[in-house]
Amino acid sequence: MDQLQIDFSPPTGNDAEWNDAYARLADYFRAHRIHSRLHRTWLILETLKRAAVTHGKHPEQSPTAVAIHEARRMHRDWLRGIIGDLNVPEGRLDANGRLAFLLCDGPNEYPDFFLNSSDAPLEMLAAMRAPIQQSGPDLAVSSMVPRPIDLGALPDIAEETSGFFGRHPWARYTILAVAAALATWGLWTVTR
Amino acid sequence: MNTDPASRVTSPVSCLPPPSNIPGYTAAAIRKRRSTFFAVVGITLMAGVWLLAVSLGRNGFNVIDVIMLGVFTPLFYQLSVGFWTAMIGLYLLMRDKKDPFDLSRSLTENEQCSEIGASTAIIMPIYNEDVSCVFEGLRVMYLSLEKTGQLEHFDFFVLSDSDNPNKWVEEELAWLELCRQLDGFGRIFYRKRRKPINRKSGNVSDFCRRWGKRYRYLHALDADSVMSGDLLANMVRIMEKHPNIGILQTAPRVFGAGTLFGRVMQFAHAAYGEPFMAGLNYLALGDATFWGHNAIIRLAPFIESCGLPELPGREPFGGHILSHDFVESALMTKAGYQVWLLPVHEGSYEEGPPTIIDTLKRDRRWCQGNMQHFWLLFAKGWAPLARLNFFHGILSYVASPLWFIFLLCATALAAQDRHHPGSTVAAGQKAGLLLLVITIGLLFVPKGLILFRQLTRKDIAKDFHSKKAVFWSCVSDTVFFSILAPILMLFHSKFVIFTVLGRGVKWASQRRSGDDAVDWEESILTFAGVSAFALIWAAFALWINPTFFLWISPVLFGIALAIPFSIFTAGTRSGKSRGLFATKEELHPPRVLSQLQENLQRAHVREAPIPQLAKNYGLLQSLLDPYVNALHVSLLRQRQRVTPESRDYLDALRRRLVKEGPDALNKRELSAVMYDPDVMLRLHYDLWSGSGDGLSAWWDTAIRQYNILTREPVTALYR
Repeated sequence: MDQLQIDFSPPTGNDAEWNDAYARLADYFRAHRIHSRLHRTWLILETLKRAAVTHGKHPEQSPTAVAIHEARRMHRDWLRGIIGDLNVPEGRLDANGRLAFLLCDGPNEYPDFFLNSSDAPLEMLAAMRAPIQQSGPDLAVSSMVPRPIDLGALPDIAEETSGFFGRHPWARYTILAVAAALATWGLWTVTR
Repeated sequence: MNTDPASRVTSPVSCLPPPSNIPGYTAAAIRKRRSTFFAVVGITLMAGVWLLAVSLGRNGFNVIDVIMLGVFTPLFYQLSVGFWTAMIGLYLLMRDKKDPFDLSRSLTENEQCSEIGASTAIIMPIYNEDVSCVFEGLRVMYLSLEKTGQLEHFDFFVLSDSDNPNKWVEEELAWLELCRQLDGFGRIFYRKRRKPINRKSGNVSDFCRRWGKRYRYLHALDADSVMSGDLLANMVRIMEKHPNIGILQTAPRVFGAGTLFGRVMQFAHAAYGEPFMAGLNYLALGDATFWGHNAIIRLAPFIESCGLPELPGREPFGGHILSHDFVESALMTKAGYQVWLLPVHEGSYEEGPPTIIDTLKRDRRWCQGNMQHFWLLFAKGWAPLARLNFFHGILSYVASPLWFIFLLCATALAAQDRHHPGSTVAAGQKAGLLLLVITIGLLFVPKGLILFRQLTRKDIAKDFHSKKAVFWSCVSDTVFFSILAPILMLFHSKFVIFTVLGRGVKWASQRRSGDDAVDWEESILTFAGVSAFALIWAAFALWINPTFFLWISPVLFGIALAIPFSIFTAGTRSGKSRGLFATKEELHPPRVLSQLQENLQRAHVREAPIPQLAKNYGLLQSLLDPYVNALHVSLLRQRQRVTPESRDYLDALRRRLVKEGPDALNKRELSAVMYDPDVMLRLHYDLWSGSGDGLSAWWDTAIRQYNILTREPVTALYR
């Protein structure tokens, strides 16, 4: 790692904005589980340097947005160097690359080589290039069609009946009311 | 990463059922068993109905008498079937000669060590379950199978239909972590369905359609199922040995109960379950029922013959078949394959509901499912036993309203007797008394004999705490079930009426452990109505006749006590220290269960997200965490074509989500976002680069909190 030099004076944006950008980058790299403060600081400064240049061209954007954009660009460049020849769709490069780094236990085993391909161990590169995650084995499609069950005539009658009761809920409740009335009448008869 | 299992694929067996090769399994043997069984049940039923007829009809029959006889007949049939199942089971267990049709003894010692020649998928359909329990259960089964040396013949599939984003993301993380920890990539698979069509049976059918051809067998598990590697492997060996078996169903033992309710159920299952299983096997033989889990299925005939049709009409009776397992076993036997029970005493486990309220919630679903089978009773082509299984399933719920009607009629008769003394019940008092004695005998003799058998065992310490503990547990569970039965009767009656009235059931996930505190409010709200009803009924009974009040009071007493019973039994004070209700699984847990408990104890110690973020924590992780986002996106299928309208809609949702936070989107909108890989990727950068007015306060807090939260595990499986 290069020696740390805090030499940062962006031509655009104010200190508060760049401080926010610094804090956001720190959070972002920590979310990548880069726990080494030294490496994280180096990554932040490297990103901020690039962001300062870009922000000069697009001062209408916030330094935070530009910094994260630069971090993403650095990340994609890094991944392209490792898995770019594996026909990974461009839209999936970020996701597949991040997952590949996680699966080779990069955050624990190779944190110093995150976004840093120089001298990256061959085993890390090989592990990241290993086949990309997928959720299931290749399909072996078979046809499972519903077996018809001959239910006889009863369901036809029932379907008509249930259709009627479905269309006319009052009919259901009328039957219920008649049953309740009968039960009350029965109770009254036996208790009088 | 992913090992193609094609190299392990064995060709599916032919769908033409081969002849049965189970020794002695002939039509004559089947006939002998079933005619014996139904002869004794028939005699008992006739005696009971005759005694009631004598008791009621000394002075001629009135309408109430006829109704009572009508509802009593199926009730007494159900009682007789239960009694004789237990008695025959006891006989089989106590005689020297073992049951020749007990398939658990069908493998020789050499065969139990033989190499398996078939590929098997172990599937676990899940729906918003406790993720730690699901994946830790898989872990112990995986490790147990590894010990048998047969792991290479098995693949594991977690088939998720979860619609809770928090659960969904947690499942993905748990799957990844489990695969990493076990080096299980290419052997443990996770699949999430976008649309949970036809619920659980649709989930399994979807698996069969996609991957069914790769496997000869399928082990079907529930989210709370645990099976030992030895049993998983031996079940495959039994299926290989008997190619006519289509489904082999184990009777899982209950484990992991923490509440009094759960422990009593667990004990009852352990103490009384074995004779019932033996008796059930005596009757069912190759026409047994599939219970949906802890079973192995021969995939080719299952795919060929067990696709479920829609039932005619609309829900609750029509539409999608809810209790699919009964129908699948009937279709399997119709296709010429056998469905057997495997009466094993260890290796197959499941959890039970922890409280009476959870039991009722489950029964509400099952009730509608079983009632649907009414149509199938009259369908053509079923084996007689399959039809009988449908009938018994329906009767198990319809019996409750029948019992309720019987009690109402008895009340009416007692009321009549108040005005015309001696006109009804008293006239046939001797016959009535004899019937009462017989009924009590049918209820309690099997239990007494089973208790006697347990107490006279020399090796009781293998399965229970002590003879004294078993005795008092039996006495206590008698009181427990005396209170529980009438409560269930009233609620099942309500469920049956609701089903008939067309009030469908919601597909609710089930609470499977008793960790949560007792919910007093829920208990009071659930049972206040029935308790009041019981008290009014009791007052009426006392008014009409104190003797009748005494006769009916055990039933009404139970219902009136529903609220304290529910609260008391949902607690964790259950006499565990004295060995009450202790079972083998508690006292000497097998390796798979002890390992599971250890893992879960460690897994559950983790920091919960702050309440403000908890509701949408899954979404938060899948958007903010670079790795979780990558995993989630990688598991989503790349959309082939997105219309401009869809793209505009998703872009609008994305902007709203960033600016206004997750609460601004409804469940459907959040789901649309989470299913789109491009939007999820874009949101990851949008959120991290957002600031000021462009970012909602919720996301601002989430970004600041996220790294504090991720210092601790993000999934329960992280150690």
